[in-house]
Amino acid sequence: MKPKIQDIKSQRIQHVEMRDIVKRFPGVLANSKVSFDVRAGEIHALLGENGAGKSTLMRQLYGLYQPDEGEIVIDGKPYVFRSPADAIRAGIGMIHQHFMLVPTLTVTQNVALGLRSSREPLLDLDKVTRRIQGLSEAYGLKVDPHAFVWQLSVGEQQRVEIMKALYRGASLIILDEPTAVLTPQEVKDLFATLRRMVQEGHSLVFISHKLHEVMDISDRVTVLRDGKVIGTRPTHKVTRGELVKMMVGRELKEPEPRSLKPGPAALKIEGLKTVGDRGTEALHGIYLEIHSGEILGLAGVSGNGQRELAECLAGMRKATAGRIAIGESDITTFTLNQRIDSGMAYIPEERMRDGAIREFSVEENIYLHDHSFAPYTHGIFLDFSQMASHAIDLVNEYALKTPSLDTPLKNLSGGNIQKLIMARELSRHPKALIAAQPTRGVDIGATEYIHQRLLAQREAGTAILLISEDLDEIRTLSDRIAIIYEGRIVGVVQRGQATIEQIGLMMAGVSMKEAMHG
Amino acid sequence: MKDVISLGVLGGILTSMIRLATPFLYAAIGETFAQTSGVVNLGVDGIMLLSAYGAFYVALNTGNLWLALLTAAAIGLLMGLLMSFISVTLKAEQGISGIGLYMFGLGMSSLLFKITIGTVKTIDGFQPVRIPLLGDIPGIGPILFDHSLPVYGAFLLVPIAWWVLDKTTLGLKIKSVGQNPAAADSLGINVDRIRYFSVCLGAVLAGLAGASLSTALVDLFQDNLTAGQGFIAVALVYFGGWNPWGVMGGAFLFSIVNSIQLWMQVIGVKIPSDVAVMLPYLLTIAALMITVNRVRQPAALNKPFERGES
Amino acid sequence: MKNKSLLIFGLLLIALLVNACGTPAAAPAAQKQIKIAVIMPSATNDMAFSQSMWSALQSVQKDMGGESALQIAYTDNLFNVPDAAAAIRDYASKGFDIVIAHGSQYGSSVQDIAPDFPNTTFAWGTDVNTFGMKNVYAYTAAAEQGGYVNGVLAAKLTKSKIIGVTGPVEVGDAKTYIDGFVQGVASVDPTIKVNKTWTGSFSDVALMTAAAKTHIQAGADILTGSSQSVVGSIGAAKDAGNVLWFGTQADQASLAPNLVVASQVYDWTAMLKDMIAKRQAGTLGGTVYTLTLSNGGLKIAYNPGYNLPADVKAAGDAAIKGIQDGSITVNP
Repeated sequence: MKPKIQDIKSQRIQHVEMRDIVKRFPGVLANSKVSFDVRAGEIHALLGENGAGKSTLMRQLYGLYQPDEGEIVIDGKPYVFRSPADAIRAGIGMIHQHFMLVPTLTVTQNVALGLRSSREPLLDLDKVTRRIQGLSEAYGLKVDPHAFVWQLSVGEQQRVEIMKALYRGASLIILDEPTAVLTPQEVKDLFATLRRMVQEGHSLVFISHKLHEVMDISDRVTVLRDGKVIGTRPTHKVTRGELVKMMVGRELKEPEPRSLKPGPAALKIEGLKTVGDRGTEALHGIYLEIHSGEILGLAGVSGNGQRELAECLAGMRKATAGRIAIGESDITTFTLNQRIDSGMAYIPEERMRDGAIREFSVEENIYLHDHSFAPYTHGIFLDFSQMASHAIDLVNEYALKTPSLDTPLKNLSGGNIQKLIMARELSRHPKALIAAQPTRGVDIGATEYIHQRLLAQREAGTAILLISEDLDEIRTLSDRIAIIYEGRIVGVVQRGQATIEQIGLMMAGVSMKEAMHG
Repeated sequence: MKDVISLGVLGGILTSMIRLATPFLYAAIGETFAQTSGVVNLGVDGIMLLSAYGAFYVALNTGNLWLALLTAAAIGLLMGLLMSFISVTLKAEQGISGIGLYMFGLGMSSLLFKITIGTVKTIDGFQPVRIPLLGDIPGIGPILFDHSLPVYGAFLLVPIAWWVLDKTTLGLKIKSVGQNPAAADSLGINVDRIRYFSVCLGAVLAGLAGASLSTALVDLFQDNLTAGQGFIAVALVYFGGWNPWGVMGGAFLFSIVNSIQLWMQVIGVKIPSDVAVMLPYLLTIAALMITVNRVRQPAALNKPFERGES
Repeated sequence: MKNKSLLIFGLLLIALLVNACGTPAAAPAAQKQIKIAVIMPSATNDMAFSQSMWSALQSVQKDMGGESALQIAYTDNLFNVPDAAAAIRDYASKGFDIVIAHGSQYGSSVQDIAPDFPNTTFAWGTDVNTFGMKNVYAYTAAAEQGGYVNGVLAAKLTKSKIIGVTGPVEVGDAKTYIDGFVQGVASVDPTIKVNKTWTGSFSDVALMTAAAKTHIQAGADILTGSSQSVVGSIGAAKDAGNVLWFGTQADQASLAPNLVVASQVYDWTAMLKDMIAKRQAGTLGGTVYTLTLSNGGLKIAYNPGYNLPADVKAAGDAAIKGIQDGSITVNP
């Protein structure tokens, strides 16, 4: 009764082509004459920096957008997709970066959503459940059909998304940055499933900006940059270096901090204690001194008190003991505003939550704090022309890619939002800067730019606390490296003094003495 | 004072509750559909008013009560289309457009009443229909099974609404566009069409709520006949946690406290009348504080859907 | 976005316009014409308080010779006091001679506005406070008097010895009418029970209906009450078929021709005519009018459609006479 997967294999899409696709958005040419094709049984990676046009291209294949020019051809026949429903009918599925699941419904209900039931208008959830279990076995996709989606881990939710596509008989499945939210173990499981699907004759498009994953999983790779195809190569015939060059358009510069004599201590932290979200003590007495013109890197495994320390310094979390000083002035009890006035700047880890307002325009986000001070005010009035000219200067200086000053921030890429926050914070010429995970989720080009900016700020004499989980970033930028473990500083080493293994040991809680000499 | 606790009093309270609850049920079940799909329609009271007027006008001039109900449903449908056009197609702020719709219904019904009828008149509305056998059960029979057809209709609506929302593919679609319209859209569900349908269905039921007032419960029309019942109905949807049974519970609670406070006044319980009339509101708020369940709230409530914004 | 805002704004405008449509455009003014504006909390056709003033104005206009002699403008359904205040000021500044704020909730607005228009006559009620201003009249109705008469009639007619009273809020003439009614009932038979309910709303017809039904279930065979929402009570009486109704403020016989026994009617015509005459003689205000049975401002309208036994009618007439000649005092 149940058709064997082998039998269906021959009915699958053999070849999907997108020919000379052009897609424009107000102020942006997102895809410019892009051609792209996928064959049955292959994983074709779509590689490019954020904003290169990868997701836009695939959303057109899935019917979410319609191309302005160009055509979509499946097995020789042209198709026009006016909505995802058309694409689904043609055998195309998409796993979005933000999962398209209804949390208050069960897995089965999510899978059944939008499908014709065998007993319309009634639901036939039992039947759906049985088919889910069948597919589950066939593809090695472990999901509990009766669980509510809100109860599931991120990895499980992704499996539900894949299940939805398979259930709808998708031959070609588009995966948009599928690994961005997964743990390494989950990535391994996902890759196993993907290989299984390819064996069964599915075609997969794997959108990513992570080089090693592309090298690992794909058969062919197409690189997009600024909305154009730079090239398509068989993965085994290309090197990582070549791909980077294609993505970025140039070789990456290795940042090299010049030796500059650090000045006097600008940011002093003495015996700082605070309480974490769960009410237990998260910092057990932190002592650090950061000099002006110095980058101090704070290395550690995530969740050892880095976030609490940053928030405490920025004034978003109360210190329960200890003292924070900028220069000679004690700012421990200062409000956020007073800290900013004393020369503190903060690039928050949760940039969309703590650093900017999604719905506000680029310009409004630039003077989010400073709007109530000179030179932006005349008495109680805002000086909009002054604000606008300042905003234009910053946008140019920091090479922000935005259609206009009025564009809502939410329409910008992660890298550009981070640049905007940096521009705003650094334009105040701070004495001390807390940079928490400044390049997380940011593409290679923007990362490089942010690094250069941090170094320039160091030259300008700012004391910088760089909090990062990327050990390479810390090692290349920092003058000194402090290692945090369970709310305490385990050790502080000079640049180049410790090997990556020694730092790794300290991050695991081994004392500095043992790590360096043991 | 022996009649304080007699069976007759109890029967009176229950009969009164059932009658008071009827317009709330129509309006609140209708609003449940709209809100489950993600649209708050604050214009319910305005729809009720204009439909109550329309139904009354038709009944007065033709004597045909079924035609009156049909008129009310049609007025509800038109106002529902207007509300969905503004809130779904134009993606305008739902609260404001709802209030606009309310003011339109209030003013228009008052104006038309003045022009076409002029003064308070009464009609012979829907008469009680005693259901055979059930109506003969001693005690509860006459209380539960001796009402007009629109009253029965309101009570039938509750299981039907629950069945539609929980057991049908349509119900699943309505819930999904209210919880995560982007997900529904990605599965090929036409979010706008489902929201249009839900808002219009809600408005048709609001229209029937108005008609139940003017043609079955009070058999007349007067300026601002509903006296804000539509707004109470919107509150009852929150109270009921977007579940038809919960909404019914809320409508019952509000109505029974109201009928109890009237009895307390009639039999002369010594409390100030101002406190008595406050009781239904106070108790409903108190119950809301205890039972509030935000988990069930449609996550996309009050949020217009635009493709490509995640 | 801008288009959307415009559309909503437009819709709101239409709604407001429709709400404001109750005001007919003022007719062109003729020489010596008197212009009266009235602001009312409910509709002119509410079968109660607002209608009583509206009918009186119509009848005064007819007596004076129509539109050319007396121009009337009105805004009704202004339960919201700030809106009413705006309307009062508007009419005053448009040059109306007499501005009537027909609602006890409008007092503070009149107090605010009257000093700014010393040549305009303001009248408001029901209340007895002219704020000591020379251009303000206050007017009230001794509703307890008609209430007393209705009470006497009701007491004579009740068989179950239970009477139900359905009121809106325990204030103003709604309260004094019922107080008088209770005294009238007690004067005939103190053992008769008068049950009272207040709904807390002037307009909630459904709740008023429920209140009346509750009274009927509690054994009442006669109902009375005030406010525009009593149409619900009358409907409940009709449903029951054998429950009688006593009206107040306006003649409510047309709502249930078989069941309405009598209505106390507010007749403001004499007061209005007096105001106009005084104004033409140069007096703009300063006094309090009270409608009573003696000055003809209050009338008991027996419903010709109801077959009232002669002895009961005689008792009613005796009560009217007693109040008129002072032998019966009714406490408000």
